[in-house]
Parts: sequence; C-alpha cells; structure tokens
Amino acid sequence: MRNTVGRLRLLLGLSMGLAAAGAVGCAHKPPVAPWQREALTRRALRFDADPQEDRFRQHWFGAREGADLGFGQPGGGCGCN
Amino acid sequence: MSRSRLPAAAVVPAIIPAITLAVVLLATAGAVRADDYVAVRGVYYREASTRVVQPMVELERDSPTGVDVGAHFLIDAITSASAAAGTAIDNVFTETRSEAGLSLRKRWARSEISVGYKYSAESDYWSHSVGLGGSKTFWGNTAMLRLALGRNFDTMTSRGRTPDCAIGVGNVNCPLDVWFAGLSYTQVLSPVSIAQLSFDSAYLDGFQGNLYRQVPGKGYEVLPYGVDTVDGKTVMTDKGQRLRMAVTARAGYVVRDTGTGFQLNYRYYWDTFPGTAATTYDPWGVRAHTLEARVFQPLGPELELRVLGRIYIQNRGAAFWCDTIANPSCYAPGANYYSSDPKLGPMNTQYLEAKIYWHAEALRTVSFLRWFSAGTFELSYGRYSQSTSFGGPAQDRPWWCLITCVIQAGYTMPY
Repeated sequence: MRNTVGRLRLLLGLSMGLAAAGAVGCAHKPPVAPWQREALTRRALRFDADPQEDRFRQHWFGAREGADLGFGQPGGGCGCN
Repeated sequence: MSRSRLPAAAVVPAIIPAITLAVVLLATAGAVRADDYVAVRGVYYREASTRVVQPMVELERDSPTGVDVGAHFLIDAITSASAAAGTAIDNVFTETRSEAGLSLRKRWARSEISVGYKYSAESDYWSHSVGLGGSKTFWGNTAMLRLALGRNFDTMTSRGRTPDCAIGVGNVNCPLDVWFAGLSYTQVLSPVSIAQLSFDSAYLDGFQGNLYRQVPGKGYEVLPYGVDTVDGKTVMTDKGQRLRMAVTARAGYVVRDTGTGFQLNYRYYWDTFPGTAATTYDPWGVRAHTLEARVFQPLGPELELRVLGRIYIQNRGAAFWCDTIANPSCYAPGANYYSSDPKLGPMNTQYLEAKIYWHAEALRTVSFLRWFSAGTFELSYGRYSQSTSFGGPAQDRPWWCLITCVIQAGYTMPY
C-alpha cells in the first residue's frame, strides 16, 4: 500500500511537471507551422489510425496476457478471463 | 484434445446482421462529408484449442455543426476445446458474444467532448460500459491533452455451475464493477515526428476469474478478495479487488525521402491489491513490459505495407499464483486464493504481423467494382507465439498456421 501511495505521488509529480513544461512551452513558437504538417497525416504518425484493430487487440491481449490497458477503456464483456 | 471447427450454424447468423447493417447504412447515406465512413471488418483467430471469428461493422457520421455520431456492431463466435483453458478439462463448446456501441462527439476548434455507451452480451456474461472523454489542443495545435473516464457494469452467471462469486457469499450472479481513468499527452516534435505519453488506470471491484476454471484438488478458482473484521473475527468479503495501471510511451517518425515510417511503443504494466487482503502480502503484483515496433513502407501511390513486431514479457506473475500444470498440488491446503490461469504467472508472448493497405483507386474503371474505388482495403496475417498452455503443442496444425495465427481483413469507405 505504501508503494502504491509512493507511485501515485510520483505520477502526480510527473503530471504537474508535464503541465508546467507545457505552460512554459506555450510561450514559445510551435515546433511545426501549419504548412509543414503534410507528413502528420501518415499512419506512422497517427497513434489512433486503426481504431477497429485496436478494439480487437484489446480484447485478444486481455484474454491471453496478464496485463491490460493501453488501448483506452478496458473490459466490457467476455467471460474469457 | 478435441479437434474443433466453428459450425456454420454459429457463424452465419453472426455475419448476417453485420452485413445487413452495412448495407442499410450505405443505402441511407446522404451528402458526402470528408470524415463520414463505413468500415466492415473480419477477424479469424486460431490457436491450439480455440477459434474465433469476428465480423464487425462500424460507421461514423460527422455533421457540419460539429456533432458526430458513431456506432459499431460486432459478433465474436468462439469455439473452444476447453471451457477452462489451462486445465485438463476437454469439452468442445461454441459461444457467441454480441457487442453494440454508440458514441457522440461534439467538436470545437481546439477541443472536443465525447460520450459513449457499449453493451456486450453472451449466454453467461453481460456488460454495460459508459465512457466520457475530452481533449484540448494547444501550442499552435501541436500538443494535445486527452482525458478519458469510464465505468463498466458487468454481470456473470454460470448456468448453475457457478462457484460463489467469492468465498462466503452464496450469489449465483457475479457482479464486476470497473472504474477507468486515462490521461494522455501528445506532442508534435517536428514535421516528421511525434510522441505520446499516457497513463491508464482501472479499479476492479467484483468477480474477476473464470466461472468454469478449476484448480486440481481445490475446485473452482478463487482470486484475491478482501477481508473484514466483524465481532473481532476476520471474515471474507465479496470484494474481489484489483488496481491495474499502465504507462505507455509512443513515438513516430517518417523518413521524408522514402516515405518510410517508424513507430515505437513501450508499455509498463503493474497491479496491486488496493485493500485489506487475506494474505500478509499483496496477492497481485503482476509486472509486464510490452515493446512494439511498426515499420510502414509505401509501395506506390495506392499501396502501403506495415510490418509489426511485438514482444510481451510478464516477468512477475501474481504473488498468490503457482503453476498447477508443472505441479498440480502446488497450493498449500489452507491457501486463500488459487487459480490455474496460465496468464497470471510469469509468461511471455511474441507477435509478428504483415499488413497491406490498398486504396482501391484502380477499381474506378472496373464495372460494378468501381463502387469500392473510394475506399481502402486492409489485409493482415500475424503469428502469435505464447509461452503458456494457450499456445498448445505444435501438432495437428495446417501449414499456414503452425502456431497461433490471426488473419484480419477489412474495408473502409467514406460516404
């Protein structure tokens, strides 16, 4: 339990650090101008390019591996635990 | 081991509603908008003792007012040689699971909010899921913060064969409540690179095991539950608890000259028992690393190849778990929790897949088939290697599926 509290504190600290970094970053020019974004539509640069595939993978890996999460909201059916 | 095939009687009813829904949606399509689409997809999964056929249809319709509606429907037709994989039980059964989901999204210039509902049903398991999400972009639309919250309400029964949902409770319906929260931050780093960091957490409260799986000499499995003190005595509760957490880092990069794209994903997972357990130690404590690499290579203006490699290493299993396949009597007589689920122990898997995306522009001049020229076809073949008994012995397999294999095909069309 103590470990869990420690980890939650660490995550909170990381989140606050991330927010602070974001706030500082906003004062600077964005790293990419609007006319430089053509490549950002490529599949390699879109982490949600295959939502149907992700949905199947979540179900599959959740039934065959001890870990879960990383694909959005987990569970929601299947008594194949 | 029994040889099992999906009976046509199970598959055909599963496919018909999906195709019907797709046809109806296409037939009722109105004015074309850029992001409206219909996706039809099928999956075939085959491993030593289990086959899964999953037809699916999904559509999204975006309105100019910024209100988008999405819906999906899918069916899992599962045939398994054993209801309790990992044990010596050898029954062939076919199970069908239906799932339908609806989502609603409101977009603004730099932010959006979405709500969703999903219902899943099979003969012994029903689930309602609700979700709420929001995202905000900033720093010239190069950064995005996304928050997702969700609740699942699951109920299981087991056709009169159920164990108690937890020791000491005589329920025949086993509930499982899940609270989910996810936070992600995505940052465009350059015109050809992007990175994402996310944290997901789920708190599970209720029955989390398999209703049929048994442990040699023990009976039905019992997963970690909580204890309470009543009149000075320690009693078991019906609270099966688990707190699951994962951090994921993703990065993508495209080589401008060749169009070659790379994507690297890493996930670290851990879980814990978030209450008072019957053991003096945390009975969960699973730890796992997942590393996945994807390479994208355009093979012309209409064709793209994706090669994916994934390694999953569960270097620490649940603390209460022992290997009943290696030693059937490994649980002590007074053990509080016991399970023969192979995925709760140390394990690893590897997955290798090749996938082709084909934008079917070439069909524009072919009669009838030109209807499909605006869409994209997908076809993939993957091989999944498992260190657990789910992988099974490499015998009695067809040449194209010597270990667990996964074939996925799909078509997405804007309308």
